[in-house]
Amino acid sequence: MSIREQFVATKKYNGIALALMTLGALAIAGLYVTQGSKADEHQQARFWAALLHNSVYFLLVVNAAMFFICATTLAWGGWQMAFRRVPEAISAVVPVIGTIAGVILLVICFGNNHELYHWTDPVKAKTDAAFIWKAGFLNKNFFAGWTVFTIVAWSVLGWKMRQLSRKLDEKPLESNEAAKKYVWNNTVWAAMFIIIFSLTVMSSIPWLWLMSIDAHWFSTMYSWYTFASSFVAGVALITLYVVYLKNNDYLEYTNEEHLHDLGKFMFAFSIFWTYLWFSQFMLIWYSNQPEETIYFIKRVGNTAKDSPYAGIFWLMFIINFLAPLLILMRRSSKRNYSTITFMALLILFGHWLDFYQMIFPGPSPDHVPMILYDFGVALFFVGLIMFVTGKALGRAPLLAKNHPFVKESLIHHT
Amino acid sequence: MAVKKFITGNFEEEAVLFPAVKKARRSGYKIHDVFTPFPIHGLDHAMGLRDTSLHTAGFIYGITGTSTALGFITWALTIDWQLNFGGKPFFSLPAWIPIMFELTVLFAAVGMVLTFCYLCQLAPFVKKDHFNPRSTDDTFVMVLECTDKTNEAETLAFLQGLGAKDVQVQHKETGWWLGRYDKDTMRFQKKAEVAAH
Amino acid sequence: MALLRYESQVRPPLVEGDKDYHQVTEDICRPVEAKPSRLWWIGFLISAVLLAFGILSVTMEVMYGTGQWNLNRTIGWGWDITNFVWWVGIGHAGTLISAILLLFRQGWRTGVNRAAEAMTIFAVMCAGQFPIWHMGRVWNAFFVLPYPNTRGPLWVNFNSPLLWDVFAISTYFTVSLLFWYSGLLPDLATLRDRAKEKWAKAFYGVAAFGWTGSTKHWQRHEALSLVLAGLSTPLVLSVHTIVSFDFATSVVPGWHTTIFPPYFVAGAIFSGFAMVQTLLVVTRKVLGLEEYITIEHVDVMNKVIVLTGSIVGIAYLTELFMAWYSHVPYEWFAFKENRVNLASPYGWSYWIMMGCNVLSPQIFWFRKMRRNLVVTFFMSILVNIGMWFERFVIIVTSIYRDYLPSAWSTYYKPSIWEVGFYIGTFGLFFTCYFLFSKFFPVIAIAEIKHILKRSGHKYKDGMTEIEHESVEVFADHHGHDHGA
Repeated sequence: MSIREQFVATKKYNGIALALMTLGALAIAGLYVTQGSKADEHQQARFWAALLHNSVYFLLVVNAAMFFICATTLAWGGWQMAFRRVPEAISAVVPVIGTIAGVILLVICFGNNHELYHWTDPVKAKTDAAFIWKAGFLNKNFFAGWTVFTIVAWSVLGWKMRQLSRKLDEKPLESNEAAKKYVWNNTVWAAMFIIIFSLTVMSSIPWLWLMSIDAHWFSTMYSWYTFASSFVAGVALITLYVVYLKNNDYLEYTNEEHLHDLGKFMFAFSIFWTYLWFSQFMLIWYSNQPEETIYFIKRVGNTAKDSPYAGIFWLMFIINFLAPLLILMRRSSKRNYSTITFMALLILFGHWLDFYQMIFPGPSPDHVPMILYDFGVALFFVGLIMFVTGKALGRAPLLAKNHPFVKESLIHHT
Repeated sequence: MAVKKFITGNFEEEAVLFPAVKKARRSGYKIHDVFTPFPIHGLDHAMGLRDTSLHTAGFIYGITGTSTALGFITWALTIDWQLNFGGKPFFSLPAWIPIMFELTVLFAAVGMVLTFCYLCQLAPFVKKDHFNPRSTDDTFVMVLECTDKTNEAETLAFLQGLGAKDVQVQHKETGWWLGRYDKDTMRFQKKAEVAAH
Repeated sequence: MALLRYESQVRPPLVEGDKDYHQVTEDICRPVEAKPSRLWWIGFLISAVLLAFGILSVTMEVMYGTGQWNLNRTIGWGWDITNFVWWVGIGHAGTLISAILLLFRQGWRTGVNRAAEAMTIFAVMCAGQFPIWHMGRVWNAFFVLPYPNTRGPLWVNFNSPLLWDVFAISTYFTVSLLFWYSGLLPDLATLRDRAKEKWAKAFYGVAAFGWTGSTKHWQRHEALSLVLAGLSTPLVLSVHTIVSFDFATSVVPGWHTTIFPPYFVAGAIFSGFAMVQTLLVVTRKVLGLEEYITIEHVDVMNKVIVLTGSIVGIAYLTELFMAWYSHVPYEWFAFKENRVNLASPYGWSYWIMMGCNVLSPQIFWFRKMRRNLVVTFFMSILVNIGMWFERFVIIVTSIYRDYLPSAWSTYYKPSIWEVGFYIGTFGLFFTCYFLFSKFFPVIAIAEIKHILKRSGHKYKDGMTEIEHESVEVFADHHGHDHGA
């Protein structure tokens, strides 16, 4: 039996991707004209916040695909081999969105608008006691240096992992010994990625990029929370691509058993995300210290006046917790293409909202800005991910057929 | 509960057992049960057993636990005896989540284990007839029930033909009774059955 | 139905030697059926003596009051609560191995899960002692339960993390016990059906609940195990989370930090795995089970140790960083002066914690070290010393200097009865473990049989032919077994 190894992006697929990017570009332009170009600092900040929100969110989501690969590699997982090329292709977007996000972050950091990152304001940096205290971390040079290093490191290590995987396509492993060596080699590089990942995504990067928007506020949980949010969205994106490829008669060896496990990941990490959210919220609510509660008052406070973001928050909470809990609990729904697609879309959207409510109460504390523009900006990144992932999928066979664990994946049972 | 007549055969390989189960079913034999030393995936389907609903029961027990916790705490702290803890509202849901979660798990787990024991008739001092002690060691024991129409000799030959070893006719009690395994205890209707035989 | 039992030959076998089902039964039942060795008796007696000393210590405390302990103002929680958290933490590995690794289908768990679960239960039993005896007037311990009483009825404070603990620990103990025992049933039936002595027939007959191995029962058993695993996974997270809430809901510098819940969980798994290593390195040797708890198992668990140790390390650094970054002077003082400062009265404990928990496990990046039993054993002890100090650091360094500098001067040292109580719980723990290893199979027999033909050494050798097949051929032969 021959299999369809080579993905060819259809005209329609690329057309949609390009159309989305065009729409998104128009939205960005529109947002710039109506907000970004205005003299009012708040309006400018609103424009940059939209770019920051979308670029960082989607960057973390596509990077989560590489985290998925490295984590399963370290755990010697075999089940994911049948569709491993999918997260590989998604992770190929990291350098692209990484560049965009890097530029946006640097512009915000070094630009003249300080509404997003108050600590970049040269006057405040010299007068605000907290900013003086924090200057060792919250300073422009460190921000720029660490941001560039991080994005380069993710891109390079991700590239290395993909190279290792492709290397086998041409040259099968000759012996058991060679296979063991190959697996070991993979493990080493995956471990390097995970180390960099834990020093960036799971600690410093969310502090710098996101938490410093509320520069006086602090929470040790913040980065782990951000990680959980982006990881579950990353798994949802992988799932979407698996379903898409299956529907187009690719990935013959991937079946509902694999889908079931992806569904389990979405289910489990949705609950994990909720757990982290609850732990952070409950501890701050319980001890009730003003320097901490200020963060949640804007987001989940009691009155509409104090917390304009409560509506978005509760919507996101329902999408990200209740829906996966109730819908994905059943075995049959994890194995159903339509349900799982619906849930993956919902989760991607829900965590997009999560990032939205993490970022926007900073630059716009009193009211929720017109969110339609942000949808538009999101379309640009969605189109970009589609386009680049499509290209990356076409570049290599869809099955890493010479990997030592691939046969285990073929007979995988949940 | 009654003593019935069975024909048993031992299998040592899963690869032999599976086709045998399928063939026995297709040929119209009544498979009483297959006893195995460890769970064999897919054997239940091969035997035509329906899926268990234990999960659903667990879900219901869990929900009961959640509502018990929420209901009781709400009643105790907002109606029965209101106390001001650190200026928090009487209805302090975030602080109740931990106990609500714990009771959910507790009810679900205890309920499911009890249901499991009830369904499988498992309890201390419960005793049952065994067809072959090796079925908890290394042998899969297929047990066919004899009905009025069963031709013993033919069935024995059939089982042998499927690859079964040590094929025999056995009279066994199908139910359980209270007893100890170090003593031979009287089964419900053993006496009468043997006498009638 | 896929009858094919295949696993990549790159993976080392999980069961060494030339085994069939019967041999597995023989090997694992042998220690139970044989007379206990002299080593067993020595260990058991030592444990019993420690337990007796613990009972004496607790008796002293109950007779003369908690004043027998050197707790003072401001250190109202000293060794006892440190020990409580330490034991609860150790009690996490069992459920983690059984539940999370079951859900993730990690085959190697079968070799170690039974012993780890038993250990969990004993560790939770030990942990429970501390808050109970710490109450002082222990005959009133039942006051923590919400029961209708003549005081109003005045209910317990459901808003208090200490009460959440009551619910969390008791639920955890109950569910772990049910999980462990339901898994044991088939193995007890195996022992019952092999038993020759009268007492063994009676004992295992009662203990096995009349298990027969019926397919329908196995089907329900599988469903039960899976759901219990699914329930235990969030449960195991919740327990140490709630323990961390005991500290984190407060406004004490060094305690009130949002990362506590997941970081406590990671630390608990870390110390739990270390304790599993301590026990299994010895158990496999003494009971001759090296073919079932192989070097591979030790290797993998050491990987978990380096992983969780590093997670804990990231959390330590996060806390330290955030104490500075927060710009809260009290928080920063607690970290800088009470912990990091080696010259401060308890500075040494912070650095023991860092050394044992973050630095030392890093040697497990090296395969040679992971597979060295002496290193593993030594490290497992070191990790648990480190994890004990973690709790000590959190508790004592945060409260020995509180907001009132006039109360600063007291230096807390435990009394003999405090130490004795701790030693006594070791007695309890090991007494239980020795009894368990004598009367119960320390490895899940049925589960080993389940993976034998896929991961057993003999069977893996037979897979060479499959290994050489191309993917297409392999898929044609076996891929369509699905759902048939």
